[in-house]
Amino acid sequence: MYAIAIHGGAGAVPRATLSPEREQRYRAGLEAALEGGYAVLERGGTSLDAVTAAVRILEDDPSFNAGRGAALTREGAAELDAAVMDGRNLRAGAVASVRHVKNPVELARRVMEKSRHVLLVGGGAEEFALEEGFGLVPNLYFRTPERQSQLEHEQRGERVSDLVPPGHGTVGAVACDRDGNLAAATSTGGMTNKRPGRVGDSPIIGAGTYAKNGVCAVSATGHGEYFIRAVAAHHVCAAVEYRSLTLEVAIAELLHDILGGLGGDGGLIGVDRGGHIVMDFSTEGMYRGARDSSGRSEIAIY
Amino acid sequence: MPRPQGNTFATVALAALAALLRVAPLPAGEHPLVIVIHGGAGVIERSRMTAEREASYRAGLAAALDAGYAVLERGGSALDAVGAAVRTMEDDPQFNAGRGAVLNHDGRCELDAAIMDGSGPRAGAVAGVHHVRNPIDLARLVMDKSPHVLLAGEGAEEFALEQGVTLVPASYFITPERVRELEEERRAAASRAPTTPLPIRPSAPKGMGTVGALALDRAGHLAAATSTGGITNKLYGRVGDTPIIGAGTYASESCAVSGTGQGEFYIRQVVAYDICAMVQYQHLPLEAAVRIMMHEKLARTGGEGGAIALDKDGNFAMDFNSAGMHRGVRDSRGHREIAMYRDAN
Repeated sequence: MYAIAIHGGAGAVPRATLSPEREQRYRAGLEAALEGGYAVLERGGTSLDAVTAAVRILEDDPSFNAGRGAALTREGAAELDAAVMDGRNLRAGAVASVRHVKNPVELARRVMEKSRHVLLVGGGAEEFALEEGFGLVPNLYFRTPERQSQLEHEQRGERVSDLVPPGHGTVGAVACDRDGNLAAATSTGGMTNKRPGRVGDSPIIGAGTYAKNGVCAVSATGHGEYFIRAVAAHHVCAAVEYRSLTLEVAIAELLHDILGGLGGDGGLIGVDRGGHIVMDFSTEGMYRGARDSSGRSEIAIY
Repeated sequence: MPRPQGNTFATVALAALAALLRVAPLPAGEHPLVIVIHGGAGVIERSRMTAEREASYRAGLAAALDAGYAVLERGGSALDAVGAAVRTMEDDPQFNAGRGAVLNHDGRCELDAAIMDGSGPRAGAVAGVHHVRNPIDLARLVMDKSPHVLLAGEGAEEFALEQGVTLVPASYFITPERVRELEEERRAAASRAPTTPLPIRPSAPKGMGTVGALALDRAGHLAAATSTGGITNKLYGRVGDTPIIGAGTYASESCAVSGTGQGEFYIRQVVAYDICAMVQYQHLPLEAAVRIMMHEKLARTGGEGGAIALDKDGNFAMDFNSAGMHRGVRDSRGHREIAMYRDAN
């Protein structure tokens, strides 16, 4: 069985504040990413290509907190993090604090495939992008009026809803292909009004992103600092591998017992070696979608 | 105000008691004090070492070990002890951290560090800093004074300034020996095939000299700290495993690990956390978990290096799959050891 799951951020999603048009827009964005990734699997592509394709679509969609439409730092700039991991051989690539790369997940993939490193940050990551022939875009490309006003609200000390548009959000995808290979990818702008240089869990292999064939692939979204301290994504894989927990139980334990105990919230999506998808969260809602070759197909928010 | 005489007597009496305790078995309920350090793994072989260099490394390790142990002995926290030990090695130019760190492709030092308090768990880390004399102290400030865990590059230095940390010029870190190593590595790299898709093995031992420390204090708390300049001739912006919580540095209530080696492999296998997970979930002895990680899991993927580990009962392990690893351990049961080579010396 092949399968793909995606998320577009977790947090407080009060039904009342989400207008029908907006909700429609999010659902359409999730649908497009899910279909984009699933199409790769359907035509026999790898899980690695599928998660990259799905995340790229979410990065290009200004409704989600990754790529264009990312949350802004306290200085008003977009600073992007992304990671990708191939469960076949535990190879991984990640970038942090890049400001001029249109699709950070593509650069993360390039770090994995063309450098001897796993994580590149800031100016060094962009230098590598140029060497690899990426065209850089101005930081303005990422900034949307919605994010601008969200930052202004936040800086005036007004409580803003995290997820309209998703502000703590992150986007991610996990997949299992026809050959049973697992992969995960995550991309984010981080949190609104963050300090420049702050790196969350998304580009941290083992925290926000992890994939290991025969075990599971996981992508996380939420309050990144908690996910880093708990080594969240790898914790889930270790629970499945060493304690033979089901992916459901492993993810529930992490979200509700461990992160809950530390005071952190968020969500995780995962797929196990059998292609079985789990999507769980400790927040009010999580933008998410799942599709597999046995006919499961869903998009959900609450 | 002068201190009353009685207190001095009490201090002397306590010190005498402490001296006795060091050789006597620990009272029930008291935790042993332990500090374990490493100063990097790599091609450390007797045949390549001069007597002076060896003595100098041993003296550097001893200074760090004793600086950390002194903190524990006077009742300080494991967190302060690992900070003190790592700071000592950062200031010592022969180790690859702080002053004397290896140079990147652009000829600059680019420093990473992390610290973790097992009893929080709380953690702080910095990556890619160029002007912070003791990156481990900045990692501690990130943990104590910011809501974040990891700050990178200029943002980390901006935070340092806000916290009143004095920045030093980039030249402070550069030593003639590291300049020579970079030149050698550049020549070697020029004769190698261009970037290969798979991580390649560094050609020389120079790249691997990360420093780290673990400690167990009187209250039974564990802490871990790691600091590094990374690998010689690394790409600008490259971040290794050191500041990645779970990869090069990890501490929980029951287990602490600090790694040194080819960072990319450590990140991909989440080495530090995985050692603790094997102990906790597979019920392996600490030593076995470290051995399996170094000689099976890491070795299988071609990753080279070492790790030190410590548990809440004071059991420790120091293992590596490279030729040698600078390492040391000291505890309140009278054990004190400094070694470099494979044969436990």
